Amino acid sequence: MLIYTLKRLGLAVLVTVSVSFVSFMLIRVSGDPAIALAGEGASQEEIEFVRVQYGFDRPLIVQYIEWAGRALHGDLGESPYLNQPVAGMLKERMGVTMTLGVSALTFAMVLSIPLGVLAAIRPNTWIDRIALAISVMGQAMPSFWFGLIMIIFFGVHLRWLPISGSDTWKHFLMPTVALGYYATPAIMRLVRSGMLEVLASDHIRTARAKGLRWPKILFKHALRNAIIPVVAVAAVQLGFMLGGSIVIESVFALNGLGNLAWVSIARSDLPVVQAIVLMLAIIYVFLTFVSDLINAFLDPRIRNV
Amino acid sequence: MKSRITHFLAISLFILIGASFLAAPAWAGKKKDTLNIAFSKELETLDRYFNTAREGIVMARHVFDNLLYRDPVTYEYKGLLAKSYKWISTTEMEIALRQGIKFHNGADMTADDVVYTLNFAANPDNKVRTQRYSNWIKEVVKSGPYTVKILLKKPFPAALEFLSGANPIYPKDYYAKVGTKGFGVKPIGTGPYKITEVIPGQKIVMVKNTNYFKDSPKGQPSIGKIVWRTLPEINTQVAELMTGSLDWIYLVPPDQAGKLAKMPDLKVVPAETMRIGYIVFDAADRSGKEHGMKNPFKDLKVRRAVNHAINKASIAKNLIGGESRSVYSACFPTQFGCEQDVKKYEYDPSKAKKLLAEAGFPNGFETTLYCYRNRPFAEAMVGNLAEVGIKAKLMKMKYAALREKSRAGKAQMQFLTWGSYSINDVSAITSHFFEFEEDDLARDAQVRDWLAEADSSIDVAKRKALYSKALKRIAEQAYWCPMFTYVSNNCFSKDLDFRPYPDAVPRFFQAKWK
Amino acid sequence: MTQATSNNKFDSGLGLDVVFPSPRQIMRQRMIHHKGFIVGGVMVLLIFLMAIFAPAIAPHDPFHQDLSIRMIPPVWNENGTWNYPLGTDNLGRDYLSRLVYGCRISLLIGFSCMMIAAVIGAILGLTAGYFGGTVDMVVSFIITVRLALPAVLVAIAVVALIGGSMKIVILVLGCLIWDRFAVILRATTKQIRAIDYVQAAQAAGCSVLRVIVLEIMPNLFNSIVIVATLEIGRAILLEAALSFLGMGVQPPTPSWGLMISEGKDLMLFNPYLVTIPGVALFILVLGMNLFGDGLRDVTSPEGRS
Repeated sequence: MLIYTLKRLGLAVLVTVSVSFVSFMLIRVSGDPAIALAGEGASQEEIEFVRVQYGFDRPLIVQYIEWAGRALHGDLGESPYLNQPVAGMLKERMGVTMTLGVSALTFAMVLSIPLGVLAAIRPNTWIDRIALAISVMGQAMPSFWFGLIMIIFFGVHLRWLPISGSDTWKHFLMPTVALGYYATPAIMRLVRSGMLEVLASDHIRTARAKGLRWPKILFKHALRNAIIPVVAVAAVQLGFMLGGSIVIESVFALNGLGNLAWVSIARSDLPVVQAIVLMLAIIYVFLTFVSDLINAFLDPRIRNV
Repeated sequence: MKSRITHFLAISLFILIGASFLAAPAWAGKKKDTLNIAFSKELETLDRYFNTAREGIVMARHVFDNLLYRDPVTYEYKGLLAKSYKWISTTEMEIALRQGIKFHNGADMTADDVVYTLNFAANPDNKVRTQRYSNWIKEVVKSGPYTVKILLKKPFPAALEFLSGANPIYPKDYYAKVGTKGFGVKPIGTGPYKITEVIPGQKIVMVKNTNYFKDSPKGQPSIGKIVWRTLPEINTQVAELMTGSLDWIYLVPPDQAGKLAKMPDLKVVPAETMRIGYIVFDAADRSGKEHGMKNPFKDLKVRRAVNHAINKASIAKNLIGGESRSVYSACFPTQFGCEQDVKKYEYDPSKAKKLLAEAGFPNGFETTLYCYRNRPFAEAMVGNLAEVGIKAKLMKMKYAALREKSRAGKAQMQFLTWGSYSINDVSAITSHFFEFEEDDLARDAQVRDWLAEADSSIDVAKRKALYSKALKRIAEQAYWCPMFTYVSNNCFSKDLDFRPYPDAVPRFFQAKWK
Repeated sequence: MTQATSNNKFDSGLGLDVVFPSPRQIMRQRMIHHKGFIVGGVMVLLIFLMAIFAPAIAPHDPFHQDLSIRMIPPVWNENGTWNYPLGTDNLGRDYLSRLVYGCRISLLIGFSCMMIAAVIGAILGLTAGYFGGTVDMVVSFIITVRLALPAVLVAIAVVALIGGSMKIVILVLGCLIWDRFAVILRATTKQIRAIDYVQAAQAAGCSVLRVIVLEIMPNLFNSIVIVATLEIGRAILLEAALSFLGMGVQPPTPSWGLMISEGKDLMLFNPYLVTIPGVALFILVLGMNLFGDGLRDVTSPEGRS
């Protein structure tokens, strides 16, 4: 197990470094940070001055190594646009995005696990069909559009929910649903197929033959087994949701990482964009690392791979 | 078993729906003596010398005071922190300061603060972002505890404008202690409102400065607290205003403003702003000379054809609305020196087609129209151009990216706007664009010489005559296609007594609850 | 039926069931009885027809503006008129015509992105699956890095910095969504490679290229088509999200995402500007997904997961 853990850890570090490298290069090749920095009405000399001052004139690879070196020490540089340390800015906004991500994931699980279980207990009945319909719709519904429709309906027409901002938990309800719904299908399908498989397995049949009560079988034996892969998928989904929150945060004007990324892109504040990409990548890598370990812990065969 | 799960589902649904019922709309505003407002751009810093957005001007007017004050109605200059001012020569101005004015932290405002702040801004080593506002100052010297002398590099007619429109005075000791960074998140001024809370990217809270000096031409602040939110999307702002979570928004497009005006709790006041929209052509043919691109716009006839093709009145009426009007001169009509008697190109597609044919494009040509804002306006222009045979592809870019393209001489036709930093003088627009700096795409030496001479003259009549000559030539040569003025629809709660002005800088220190 | 394919089923180890083409008759039988497949197929077919016959269906020129007839509501509204069945937009363009032409854009983008993704994914997946060993390790690593890269965020940043246009959007999205192709083709290739006749071909001294092209590729066709349909849906949704944020295709191109974005400022007063393109987008992606899912079910009925 230790060797496996170390191997995975090494891989995680390598992936993080590669992601940071790729994203750094992609973003730097696409845009020139110096122009944005110099501000409206700046002359060519001012732009050149900024370029040299911030070191944007050096080879990209040198800039990357320097940036990565500092990032290792937790120093993500300074936003040239806001003149503030990027790390502090990320810390300020992290909370909102994490709250959104975790609540969206919770929503997705609360919706999908019971539905998946029901669908598995009664396959090919109306409840299975409803579950399927909900899941298929979730995959096809553009989340930003869903968010807008909710704003029109719940925010403006009914006036039940606040439309923008992140002051109270009420502010998170609509974004949570909009973001979480997209993750529902994947989890529900997994629960359903897992349950179907477990329910058809020998040990459930044995349990039933032994005369155990049905709910007990369902919860103690079946669901417990079926939920293991869900943990892994949930971790990955959380990573995706944090990455996808950029659209939802812009719809609901939530002051999180996604929104910060979006405004930073708009004002070519590249150090911030890079830091956010790195942050999300680290979170994703960390989540997959943890879920790998959990899986390996539960299923010893994996450890030898 | 099945019922248990159904129960669970039912309960969780119930909780969700129940929860939403609890959330009654927060109708803040008058009851709490709190004005909730929203702007679309986040301020990069609250230090006025280091931010570039219009929001920075608005913020500065509330938190800081300048030496002078320009009356928004009469455009007359009055003393603000200055008790009086007078020109000693064309390059020297003497200012006597008011006494007894205190900064928000209790410190007295004296000549030291003025000298410190203005010298700081004028020193290029400090790299303030608003160089243009202060680079005309050579030095500011203290001539007494409450008197200063401003020495100019050369005669600069717009000095009063810049002293009233920009250059707020900071507390010397505090600024020296906290530096630009510290000041940017916790600014201190003498203004009618003081900042109490800043959440970057989200909101800024200001409260009334109860010790604001009595004789200020700005008047006395009335509303107790202002919560300033950053909401980038106009539809979010409109929704929040409709549900009562906001009391005031502006720059609302005419369609939404029209609908909001019909709502019982809201009031809409359109106000023309100093921003104008125009199309600029690569008349100097840099795209052709430097990049070998085919450039139809080097031909005067083509530029004139575009001027005739654009239905500015229709765009102004249908898309901008309110008091937006067509402009024909390369400046905002109220600006000093903005000659109105120039060659006018009226909307006339057939004439445009004729001109194109004469220029050798009987079937039009393909090109790209670049823009950085107001996509619907640009789309309408593309539609107008298509009618006369010019097939323009629309390319919307970030402002910075577009400017880079333009300065590299690669953009042949751009839809741009310019707000002149709310400065009521032609030097803030025409001189900015026609004196061979990077953004000058016309490169007309004649125009440059007239403008440059006018800029450094303090003889009013002479300036006027020179600007007139330059603007007439610009129109004659159709270097630009000036189109329309922008209108800001101010939409606010009926409870609010608010008056907008053409400089599009809202003054909440004059606002009251009804 | 189940019997017929059960011995052709392999577990890829990724929870993906991969199956060889079954006899045609069985397939046809399943297709007819699979509701999702039929419904999805019909939806996709209709949308395809709409795209092909756009000039015949659209009552007006989708680009023609007339500011005097701005924002006429759809026909079911009291002020609507049959001249403009779905109303007109902010610039007085016929909404139905834009919608009809918009589906060309969506399909074009969906297909082009999918093609790029398929090429990248197939090359990576095939080489990894065929050669195994170090090559496989490298490719798996690349896939992991790609998954850790927050795709939406990176896409928005790159498109925003370069400047949006259809070409850029297609290229960027195509280069970002090849992961599913690579994962699935890698697994499938691995299994096919182990089959007798492939080994026989190798033993007979056939060149690597010949084995891949003649023996392996034909067997991958099914998996590619299934992933492709799902990826088209994904690409279309991503393009819509990009265009919604103003960073995708440029106006006056009638992209559905762009239509939502343009309509959103007026959505509180003219909700149809947002709902109509949203529903269209939903139906297209739903159709694609149903069709793709159905295709998978039809080729492996027990593999509904």
